[in-house]
Amino acid sequence: MVASIAMMVFSLSRLNAPIRPGIDFIGGTRIQIARDCTVAQNCDEPIDTAQVREVLDGQNLGNSSIQLLGDNKQILSVRTENIDGDRRSKLLSDLGQAIGKFDSNTVQIDSVGPTLGEELFVSGILALLVAFFGIIVYLSIRFKFDYALFAIAALFHDVIITAGIFSLFGLVLGLEADSLFLVSLLTIIGFSVNDTVVIYDRIRENMVMNPDKTINEIVDNAVNQTLGRSINTTLTTLLPLLGIFFFGGQTLKFFALALIIGFLLGAYSSICIASTLLAWWRNRQGNKPVVVTDTPASQ
Amino acid sequence: MQKQRAYIILILALVVAAIAILTTIPPELGLDLRGGAQLTIQVNPTKEQPNVKPTAEDVQAVQRVLENRINGFGVSETTVQTVGENKILIQLPGESEPEEAERRLKGTAKLEFKQQKQGTEGDFIAESQVNRQLQAQREYFSQQEQTPENTAELAEINQSLAKSNEAISQLFDSVDLTGTNLTDARPQPDATGLRYEVAINFDREGGKKFAQLTKELAGTGRSIGIFLDDDLISSPVVGPEFADTGIAGGRAVITGNFDLEGAKDLGIQIKGGSLPFPVAVVENRTVGATLGQDSIRRSIIAALVGLVLVLIFMVVYYRLPGLIANGALIVYALLTIACYALVGVTLTLPGIAGFILSIGMAVDANVLIFERTREELRAGKTLYRSVESGFFRAFSSILDSNVTTAIACVALLWLGSGLVKGFAVTLLIGVLVSMFTAVTCSRTLMLLVVLSLPKVRQKPELFCPNLNVSNQ
Repeated sequence: MVASIAMMVFSLSRLNAPIRPGIDFIGGTRIQIARDCTVAQNCDEPIDTAQVREVLDGQNLGNSSIQLLGDNKQILSVRTENIDGDRRSKLLSDLGQAIGKFDSNTVQIDSVGPTLGEELFVSGILALLVAFFGIIVYLSIRFKFDYALFAIAALFHDVIITAGIFSLFGLVLGLEADSLFLVSLLTIIGFSVNDTVVIYDRIRENMVMNPDKTINEIVDNAVNQTLGRSINTTLTTLLPLLGIFFFGGQTLKFFALALIIGFLLGAYSSICIASTLLAWWRNRQGNKPVVVTDTPASQ
Repeated sequence: MQKQRAYIILILALVVAAIAILTTIPPELGLDLRGGAQLTIQVNPTKEQPNVKPTAEDVQAVQRVLENRINGFGVSETTVQTVGENKILIQLPGESEPEEAERRLKGTAKLEFKQQKQGTEGDFIAESQVNRQLQAQREYFSQQEQTPENTAELAEINQSLAKSNEAISQLFDSVDLTGTNLTDARPQPDATGLRYEVAINFDREGGKKFAQLTKELAGTGRSIGIFLDDDLISSPVVGPEFADTGIAGGRAVITGNFDLEGAKDLGIQIKGGSLPFPVAVVENRTVGATLGQDSIRRSIIAALVGLVLVLIFMVVYYRLPGLIANGALIVYALLTIACYALVGVTLTLPGIAGFILSIGMAVDANVLIFERTREELRAGKTLYRSVESGFFRAFSSILDSNVTTAIACVALLWLGSGLVKGFAVTLLIGVLVSMFTAVTCSRTLMLLVVLSLPKVRQKPELFCPNLNVSNQ
């Protein structure tokens, strides 16, 4: 976690942001297009980035980034500042002349204005905070306030480490955080809290059944009893994600990766962080385990 | 048993209904899957008055203007809708080169009142006839499904229509009376109270020009041409009684045997054309047709591989209950997709991710129940009691965990943008359906097997391997 924060601080100093932001959040235009391979000899050689760079420089888009994708490097992905339709069509036709004809059916254009990017970012962060708040309220009602607090602590752990890993990816691989990354963080929150809640549920039940045991024993038992479920659930959720990661489209690949990392962390944090912290806290309070009023009825 | 039977009937009925829904309403695919361009247009305040924000009514009027422009593209199955306070979302299916569309959509609307040239009466009637016919044809074809033939037909009609519009505009002279001189345009009931008319108001300067224009045209049979973005939207004639002074005072009504809808529509077009708000394309997401199909193919493969892996895991680890859960899972998938079709969810790439994820959630509910059942079995209970209390006790965990996920989904749905919403809505529906299927479907199937097959009851090890206590 410390390493993760350090990574984001480092990224902050290098890129002026804790995670390399995508055009969704700061505005910009990304064009991805593949060469038309039905034209003879069009696809014989990989696309030459130097030629692409030349075209970009010629249109005052020198600070754009260029990426080549696909098996034989036949797919070109260019990210520029936010440009309108006219400049874009000029850029596309110039690129077509420089490096060969494109197949317009394979084009993908994402263009986001800078103010809209800011709006997307703010609304995303807001959604994150609202989700946090909603979860605290719900858990406080269903359990107790300190339960909710430690569940959120575990959440922060998951979110921060996942963000840290993506911060590293941003620095090393040039990976950008887009709207989908924000979605993945929210999903991680949902799942991590899931795991934590299942353990809490068991702790609550055990407290009712064995009021004379210490909190440490109760938490220990609860974790052990739910361990099989925690592992299996994480596994079954990871299976479809691995499916997306290996076979899904380009867009969803890193989305799936973020979720895989986050869910693994989520399982770990629920087992080791949320419950341990809860036991530690209740011990420190010197309380006998408090019986929570909302009892799950026995058989 | 009675209750189980009722549940079984309910589940079967739902499955049949789901299949019926899926065969009648095909799931709607988003532009990222079928290919096309999605443009977000923002209605900005004017340069002169940067603090005056366009009202909801203004945005609606601008939207009507944009609809007119979009009709001119000749793309079928387009949708235009307002999002948020000042944005308009436009979808152009099948459009992979949206540069031209962007160019024509941005910019302020241009409304102009023109004077019909002398000696063009015959030409105008003939050309109007042609124009109306072409418009009706375009209307028809733009609602048809996108096939190569239809698209080609539409493009041809569109070209002829552009020529016809050009020809019509040649028949009119500019008198420098534009939308900037217009202050209002709205529908109102006419004198008979049965039909509607459109009332228009001009400012002082506009009033003078309009009086001059109407004076010259009154009684001649030639018309005022009202042009929006250079296309004629209305061509009223002026009665002979105005020949002396023209229509003075800057107020006039356009009568034309309108019903309320027709009057509203013309009013909003005129009003929209007079609004000074510039519009800008703030977001453009375009996916080529081949790329979209590729995404679908890959997503389906990913979903199937994921699903099959989960099914295998469940049987290997949980044995008989795993098999039952798999049945429940298939019912789950059917019901969920049917719900998408029913609610009208547009399936996008993130939406499919949400669905795949919800499969994981649905399995989780079953895992919780089975782990609990095993525990009860190990504690020495009978199979039937174990199953019942397994379900019962796992329920509070399932409820809590699903509610927390639902909270996150609602937050996203409420605050997120388009892409994010697509994900949240499929996951939310998935979570809700999975609650239902885990509790009714898995439980009913399991009890049915346990109660109706005595052989199963004698073999609790089908439910839990290495169970060394003999129960019965």
